[in-house]
Amino acid sequence: MSQEAQDIQDSTTAIVAESAPDAKTRRYDRQLRLWAASGQSALESSRVLVIAGTATSTSVLKNLVLPGIGHFTILDPLEVTPEDAGNNFFLEGPSSIGKSRAEEAVRLLCELNDGVDGKADKRSLEEVLENDKEWLSDFTIVIAHNLDPKLLQRLSEYLWSDTTFPPLVVVRSAGFLAEFYIQYHEHSVIESHSETTPSLRIDKAFPALLDYATTLDFENMDVTDHGHIPYVVILVRVLEDWKKAHNGLPPQTYAEKKEFKQGIMAMRKKSDEENFEEAEAQAYRSWTATTVPSEISELFDDPKVKSVTPSSPPFYHLVNALAKFVQEQPSHTLPLSSTLPDMKASTSAYIHLQTLYKRRAEEEKAAFKSYLQVPIAEDMVDAFVKNSHALKLLRGKQWGAVDKDGAALVKGGEVAPKELSVHLALSALSSVIDKSQPGAPLTPTVEALTEEAQALLPGGASLPDDFDNAVGEVARAPTADLPNVAALLGGLVAQEVIKMITKQYIPIHGYCTIDLVDAWTGTLKLSDLKP
Amino acid sequence: MATETQSQPADWPGRYFHIDQVLNTPGPRTDESFLAGDGVKDFLRNKSKILVIGAGGLGCEILANLALTGFKDIHVIDMDTIDISNLNRQFLFRPKDVGKSKAIVAAEFIMKRVPGVKVTPYFGKIQDKDDAYYMQFNLVICGLDSVEARRWMNATLVNLVDPEEPESLKPLIDGGTEGFKGQARVILPTITSCYECSLDMLNKQTAFPICTIANTPRLPEHCIEWASVLEWPRVRGDLKLDTDDPEHIGWLYKIALARANEFKIEGVTWSLTQGVVKNIIPAIASTNAVIAAACCNEAFKIATSSAAYLNNYFMLIGTDGVYSYTFEHEKRDDCPVCGGEALEMTLKPTTTVEELIDILVEKQDIQIKKPSLSTPTKQIYFQAPPQLEEATRPNLEKKVSDLVPPGGEVTVTATTLPFSLSLRISYSE
Ligand SMILES: [Zn+2]
Repeated sequence: MSQEAQDIQDSTTAIVAESAPDAKTRRYDRQLRLWAASGQSALESSRVLVIAGTATSTSVLKNLVLPGIGHFTILDPLEVTPEDAGNNFFLEGPSSIGKSRAEEAVRLLCELNDGVDGKADKRSLEEVLENDKEWLSDFTIVIAHNLDPKLLQRLSEYLWSDTTFPPLVVVRSAGFLAEFYIQYHEHSVIESHSETTPSLRIDKAFPALLDYATTLDFENMDVTDHGHIPYVVILVRVLEDWKKAHNGLPPQTYAEKKEFKQGIMAMRKKSDEENFEEAEAQAYRSWTATTVPSEISELFDDPKVKSVTPSSPPFYHLVNALAKFVQEQPSHTLPLSSTLPDMKASTSAYIHLQTLYKRRAEEEKAAFKSYLQVPIAEDMVDAFVKNSHALKLLRGKQWGAVDKDGAALVKGGEVAPKELSVHLALSALSSVIDKSQPGAPLTPTVEALTEEAQALLPGGASLPDDFDNAVGEVARAPTADLPNVAALLGGLVAQEVIKMITKQYIPIHGYCTIDLVDAWTGTLKLSDLKP
Repeated sequence: MATETQSQPADWPGRYFHIDQVLNTPGPRTDESFLAGDGVKDFLRNKSKILVIGAGGLGCEILANLALTGFKDIHVIDMDTIDISNLNRQFLFRPKDVGKSKAIVAAEFIMKRVPGVKVTPYFGKIQDKDDAYYMQFNLVICGLDSVEARRWMNATLVNLVDPEEPESLKPLIDGGTEGFKGQARVILPTITSCYECSLDMLNKQTAFPICTIANTPRLPEHCIEWASVLEWPRVRGDLKLDTDDPEHIGWLYKIALARANEFKIEGVTWSLTQGVVKNIIPAIASTNAVIAAACCNEAFKIATSSAAYLNNYFMLIGTDGVYSYTFEHEKRDDCPVCGGEALEMTLKPTTTVEELIDILVEKQDIQIKKPSLSTPTKQIYFQAPPQLEEATRPNLEKKVSDLVPPGGEVTVTATTLPFSLSLRISYSE
């Protein structure tokens, strides 16, 4: 290192800097960029139960063990068969045959990450449901692949019976077709990682911003400084001047908007001032009213929000306080975000503007907090205020509830016929299994499956046109857990489980259906499954 | 690599119970040419030969899937070695493997885990291999994160096609991921849209203007760029910046942090510094699993005809529910690799050669870093070798219209690309 480099290094070590990341941070670097330390810590304290050590189940687990869940258990009483040894990467070929499927899979999965605790439980689900069902409530989430329909019914009923019990992910596959569904009562998301950005509130500039923009001496400013006024300041100024001349109203008509933009460009001192070009391009922000998004204001009317009690979950308290904030604060908007996009500006002008936004955002956060009826952790309040424009509350249904409602299925099929076809074909297979003798070879005909699917629909309703394609594939390979389908399901199910555990990003709300003949995935949305 | 000598255990009864269900019987959408039963199984398991490019996030998954579906002669190329940050998703590698060749470790792991599969690794560059090498495969799957390597592979396979010889057409299956997003596609060289046809679909990288970095920093990223682009060469001289060296990253981080403090800019962290200088793309096991499975499923369908293959593009976005879109990406007639027609380009009569080069570098559907230009009769500008560069340098200031007549053709080449691009020049006014 040169002397100068050494000098720079010495003079900068006075600043408090982080040291190089530790091994764990380096290992998880590529995922921490998606769900941050908060998501990672949720994963690390999670406990996942997987029922039956099939190829699909181990694929799901692989994608959960790698990012570092805390614990997983595989519940499976069976021994490895030659068939299992042929399609499951987490078995060691013929040498695993005859050994416990759960133990073999746990052993090989644990090799992927020594920070994860894995356990094989050789009891049957039947035995657990009979003698030890409370044990099930000890997990964060439960995943079941191709479970016997009767046992699945009992399992889903039990996990649905108490709102504090873990969500259940039901995964079904046959040959090239598959679907999965997450049974949960409610799932709230604060950090949805939405791509829509919060309003800069140019139309409702807060006092300090308004004051700054209206007192800035544009005319007598040095040419360089003039070319570095942030567009936000330009717009607030031009809008204020405009309103004074137009009865307090922003530009309304196309002609007025054009005139407004021309006014911006006329303020330039030189023809190449990029900040004024930015202001012209962003001019719509001046006449687009900052309002509360409808999806958020709908939350304000939710009965559970309106009637919060001290024992209500924090999310409801936060939304309740947000509703009051919007109603009582003079701007009637969501709390201001302190995040400012980059724009053409000098460092000092930009930092000054950023400071104004930050200060105001802090004030509004303090006002927001005054409406909270219970104490809530500071980092949760921060995240909530920052994401208040993109909150999400999902309400679910019990597994199978939709199948009892033929009219709802018909309605869903109108919106998503291909998706409904896959769902009906797999449901028909479940019905056939339900009626067959345990252990008997499963070779249903297209006719038998079609009959079962038809029975799920109300009398007179016809199956979607795409049903023939779906049912033919199920009849072709009713018991095939194909490696590629297992791997694809393993990815999608793990992704959704990660969203459920971290409470970041938005999980599916309905049935995710998959057809790997035509290479598509789709969603049969719960919101479309309504008669 | 002692694995070559391993005895290959015979298949055991029941091994292909799952796979055989779709190989014994056609489905409603299966093409009539499908030969259900022993014929197709024999081809898949004993005759087909498949090449996997990349043994990283996608590659590990691809190798495992191919082995389980019954491909037994698999080759894999990767020039990289294993890094600790790979271990959150590249599941064939363990901490003890850090520093070793990805291709070799992955191949050994697959052969140990899936009996009877032969995986032949090559620890090196795809450019090391010639046409004869690529000709031996039935299929190629690409799981790469480098645009340049994919362009090379794509162009090589397109150039390989000899219309007289059907065997010369090698289907290329390409996968890519970024965070919760990804895509898988099937390319039939010369027949369907190729990788080059869709270059404009790539996200444009954010580039910060040098004057912002030097004079008006506002974001933490500006401070980091200042440290790496301006301060590093100024202070550290000829020492090449190694973004994998923690000492180098630490130095940049401290310089960037000092500048940020001077300007009262918040948010310079070690992680951001590393992210900006290495252009890190978030990557997770689950997205890689989905895209690799989609790629391998297409390889399986193409090799067996058990179901129609993807036509031709599958795109996944997993941030809000599971959203995917399957569509046919259109072939471009003026694609420099598979189109055959010259790219039309209208210039001002005053445009100089240097300005034309800037236009080409900026153009999203071309993306050439250091183009060299010539006409059928003369050299306009060559980036290398140095003597030729020097000889053609005076042309940079000349107007293109003085060198190329209206409607004339300009050939663009670059050392990084195994093909040339034809421009047909016209002039405005
Ligand atoms: Zn092309």
